[in-house]
Amino acid sequence: MKQDIHEYLAELEDIPGTRVYTTKRARKGYWVNQFAMSLMTKENRDRWRADEKAYLDEWPMTEEQKQALLDRDYDKLLDLGGNIYFLAKVFSTDRKSYLQAVSTMTGMSEEDYRNMMLSGGRSPEGLRSKSKGY
Amino acid sequence: MAHITAGITSSHVPAIGAAIDLGKTDEDYWKPAFAGFDWTKEWIMKPENKPDVVILVYNDHASAFDMNLIPTFAIGCADEFQPADEGWGPRPVPVVKNHADLAWHIAQSCILDEFDMTIINKMDVDHGLTVPLSLMFGEPEAWPCKIIPLAVNVVTYPPPTGNRCYNLGRAIRDAVESFPEDLKVQVWGTGGMSHQLQGTRAGLINAEWDQKFLDDLSADPERLRTMPHIEYLREAGSEGIELVMWLIMRGALGDKVKELHRHYHVAASNTALGHIVLEPQD
Ligand SMILES: [Fe+2]
Repeated sequence: MKQDIHEYLAELEDIPGTRVYTTKRARKGYWVNQFAMSLMTKENRDRWRADEKAYLDEWPMTEEQKQALLDRDYDKLLDLGGNIYFLAKVFSTDRKSYLQAVSTMTGMSEEDYRNMMLSGGRSPEGLRSKSKGY
Repeated sequence: MAHITAGITSSHVPAIGAAIDLGKTDEDYWKPAFAGFDWTKEWIMKPENKPDVVILVYNDHASAFDMNLIPTFAIGCADEFQPADEGWGPRPVPVVKNHADLAWHIAQSCILDEFDMTIINKMDVDHGLTVPLSLMFGEPEAWPCKIIPLAVNVVTYPPPTGNRCYNLGRAIRDAVESFPEDLKVQVWGTGGMSHQLQGTRAGLINAEWDQKFLDDLSADPERLRTMPHIEYLREAGSEGIELVMWLIMRGALGDKVKELHRHYHVAASNTALGHIVLEPQD
């Protein structure tokens, strides 16, 4: 049975602290994500490491997107249409793990985040729905 | 005739691949995560169980597919696939050798069955595919069977529904059973379980929900196939949606299955690690 697309998309926006990678976000972040993909070759990683700003200027991104990349502000990059699997190429190039990069979005220190995961992770309690508050 | 002999699911956390490649599996952090695969490693290499071919359902994590091309279901039909360079350099694992005759057969059969598969030849395979192989087979010189990659879009919304995945599994089963060569074929579903890799809700784990999902692969697959995406997202985190891929495996096993083995561990990096081995019961 087909779900109504408008209801479907509205529900996706109802989750606290979550930006689902909808086509709207994907279109906004197209070049952020394509830039990130380019770091899958050593040649491009070397060019990026040598001069990050110059490398970014080769891509038709907004200045805000470029600055967020220079700042490694992953939370902001999600607002600007970035997707974590694409951005992984940026933090992998920095020799950072998913856990390290993801922890920067939580307002917790890396160590506190790691310890939370070791003791069972974050409970979904109260974090399932903005509108229904459960 | 070829037939489907078992279904396996497993999370495919990239840090697991790194732990194997860097020889860290004996560290206290990783030991309990890997211990749950010992049973499967032994079981899968017994002659009566060893697959000739694995149809490996996984998602590409922006490695082979960028924003230029987003196929919902893509089946790898080339003779071989190289491990992808995801930013750290490629994983030091064997090349993936396909059973291209069976892959093309499945592609043709599924298309006639009204599943409009994307056929892909040139494709590097990322941790989504190589980590489960390492978990089940360890570190051999060459993978002990042929592997057909089946990549599912679970990155850009909407991914396929659970019902669609389940029905694709059934079509794959029909395709396999109409292939004339005598082959033992396993279907693997990978990804999950609960995890969220973004924002202030990152690190979400829902062990109770995960265990119920594992239970219902045999007890109530009907509940799983009709579960809307929003439930995965709310209960199992934004990246928990990968679990829809497990339903392709489940659909391929037929109505009744027997659970042979289960492993659940929190946490591997950001993720609840889940693994199950199922056998079809006809
Ligand atoms: Fe994944």
